[in-house]
This record gives sequence, C-alpha cells and structure tokens, in this order.
Amino acid sequence: MPKKIKGIQLGQIKELSQLKIVSIFNEKWIHNLVSHPRPQRPGLGLTGYLKHLQAGRIQVFGKTEVGYLHNLKDEDRSRCLKNYFSLKLPGIIISENIKAESDWIAMAARYSTPILISELHTAPLISRLSAFLYQYFAKKIKMNGVLMDIMGQGVLITGDSGIGKSETALELVNKGYQLIADDVAEFYLDSNDDLIGRANEIIKNLMEVRGLGIININDIFGTSAVLEEKKLNLVTNLEKWDAKKKYDRLGEDTQYFKILGLELPLISLPVGPGRNLSTIIEVAVRNILAKKSGKKTYLELNKESALQQDELPDPQAEVSK
Amino acid sequence: MIEKTQVIHNKLGLHARAAAKLSHLANMFTADIFLIYNEDKVNAKSLLGILTLAASVGNEIILQASGGDEQEALAAISDLFNRKFDEES
Repeated sequence: MPKKIKGIQLGQIKELSQLKIVSIFNEKWIHNLVSHPRPQRPGLGLTGYLKHLQAGRIQVFGKTEVGYLHNLKDEDRSRCLKNYFSLKLPGIIISENIKAESDWIAMAARYSTPILISELHTAPLISRLSAFLYQYFAKKIKMNGVLMDIMGQGVLITGDSGIGKSETALELVNKGYQLIADDVAEFYLDSNDDLIGRANEIIKNLMEVRGLGIININDIFGTSAVLEEKKLNLVTNLEKWDAKKKYDRLGEDTQYFKILGLELPLISLPVGPGRNLSTIIEVAVRNILAKKSGKKTYLELNKESALQQDELPDPQAEVSK
Repeated sequence: MIEKTQVIHNKLGLHARAAAKLSHLANMFTADIFLIYNEDKVNAKSLLGILTLAASVGNEIILQASGGDEQEALAAISDLFNRKFDEES
C-alpha cells in the first residue's frame, strides 16, 4: 500500500541547502505544516481576490508581489496584508534577498506565519521548491527485491527469500553493473509518471549475501558500482522451476507487472541447474532494448518459415491434376 | 493469515544482530511472515528489510504470518522478541 503523507514542517524546508534560505522571521511558528505539493505565488491574492489561495500551500513572493506592496498606501497595505495573512498560510518565502518590511513581519506574526528570505531568483526558487515538494508528496511504495542498473535499464529482481536474488545481483555487480538497492527498494512516481527507485538510507550500498554476511558494495567495488536512484524499466521474477508451468518459449508473450497504475514488462525466470541467471537477466535486458527498437525475433522466424512453406509444392494442386 | 501485536523489549531494538536472529528464525518456516511498523511492511525473512524499519525499544510492531506453519512461526518469533533476542540476561 502506498503511504499517505500529511505534510512537511517548514523547518525541514528551511534546512534545504538548494533553497539558499539566508534569514527567517517569526521563527516561533517554524513547525507549521506545508500540506500541498505545489508552491503558490499570491499574485492577485494580494489585491483581495483570495478565492484560489489555499491553506497548506507555501507562498512565494517575488519582485512583483513586493513591488505591489510597496506601491500601496499604508492603510491599504495594512488591510491587504491582514486579509492575506488571515488565511493562516504555513509560510512565505521571499526571493532575491529582498528585505521584508517590519509591518509585513508584524502582520504575519499576528497570524503565526513565518517569513523566509532566499537568495535565489524567483524562477529557480519555485522550480527547486516544486521539485523537492513533488518528490516528498509523491506516492511511495516499498517492494522486495534487488534494484539494479543494467545497460542503463532499471531492473528489479524479485523472488522468494533464499532463491538467490542477492547472489545473482552480486554476479551482475561483478560484471560491472550498478546496485541501487538490495532486498528492499523504495519507489516513487515522479512528475513524468516514471517509477523511480532508491534504497532506504539505512541500507544504502549494502547487500546481504548468505555466507558472507552484510557487505558494502561501495567499499568493495567502488563508487562506480552503486547508484543513488534509477527509473524502473523491467521486473524479473526468479522462481523455482515448475515442470507444469508453461514458460515463454518463443518470446512472444509479454507479461506485465502492475504498480501504482503503471504497467512494466515482467519476465518470469525459472531457477534450475545449469541456468546462469545473471547472464539470462543481462540478455533479457539486451532483448528488451532490441524489442524497443522494433526487433521481434519470433516474428522474423515466422516469416522465414512461411517463405519456406511457399516454396513447397501445394498438396491440393497435386491432387487436382 | 494471523496477526499479533508485539512490543520490542530489548534495549537496542531491531539492530543488526537482532535482525539477523529474527530473519534466520523466520527462514525456518514456510509461511510468509511480515513485520508492520509505521505503515511500512517488510518481509521478516529479509535482514536488510528488517533494518529499514529502524524500530527501537518500546515500539509496537505487528507480526503477520500466512501459510502452513503460521501458528508455529508467530509463536516462535514472538518468543524471540520476549526473550529480548537473548541479548540481556
């Protein structure tokens, strides 16, 4: 089940180095909760049109908002700020290191709203803030399996405990591919509807191999053997060889793995004697890449055999003679 | 499927050594066994999975088992928690 996220405290947003927050006023209310994934510029909200200003959304002031406030007569400004701040917004960020006037700060304090000042220009401030909030509020889900980057494709290797997921992954690392997460991978849906997987911070770079214990792939193989996060392209499920089950012999069936409303290609790989799984997975990825470029071996095979059949004399024709 | 709420009694919580003992024990059963904590659900047979929970002393977790030997599995795992993972005498 995807986890529900209620909100993020303003204090956590303040700590983000990419936002370059240089000062803060009304810090007493730094625990206010931002509960909406998109920042908002008040724009017309300052003129009194408050309809689309939503509680829970972090507000961003740029030169426009600040210029407008400066242009107002004192009494108008006071009324406008009172209307605006009475919405009990979680917090305001002002861009470009613009000075917050004392009457704004006082009015914000009356309605327990902190004001943060950032060095960034408004556009990069909004885009960085949006990117962070989007990921923070994105639907997240944990899956059991090893997530690897194989030839640029994100591959999740799933299967029952003890079937050899980690051992297969270790062979793939040894072949020069990258580990993202062993055993448990956390996924979130990004703004392009791609499923991005990463490791939980506690087990990042770690792998459990029975007999060896917990090993750190970064220490053993170096930084080129690990990756922070990866878009998921393919799921391979390792399973015990079942003589009764029908496995894909031609390569024509495409199975799908459904998750968070997406469908990803799924390959079931039976584990059996003499089957080198790391090589099979590697080739499965090459095959996916070939299919992506329009190559379908079994169709070509059909075409070839159809040609051969055409060359054979038609048995019906023989009879009619 | 059966479930049981379990309190963590040992001082260090579900740290590496305790998690190793837990996953080792879970692997002895054929039932699927899960630990649920803070809306996170992990496979009890996965050592790294257990570590991601970062559950500590006093926390309540839910043990969930389904399959043939679910009763025995849950009893044995609950006993391991109650014995404080044999860490403290």
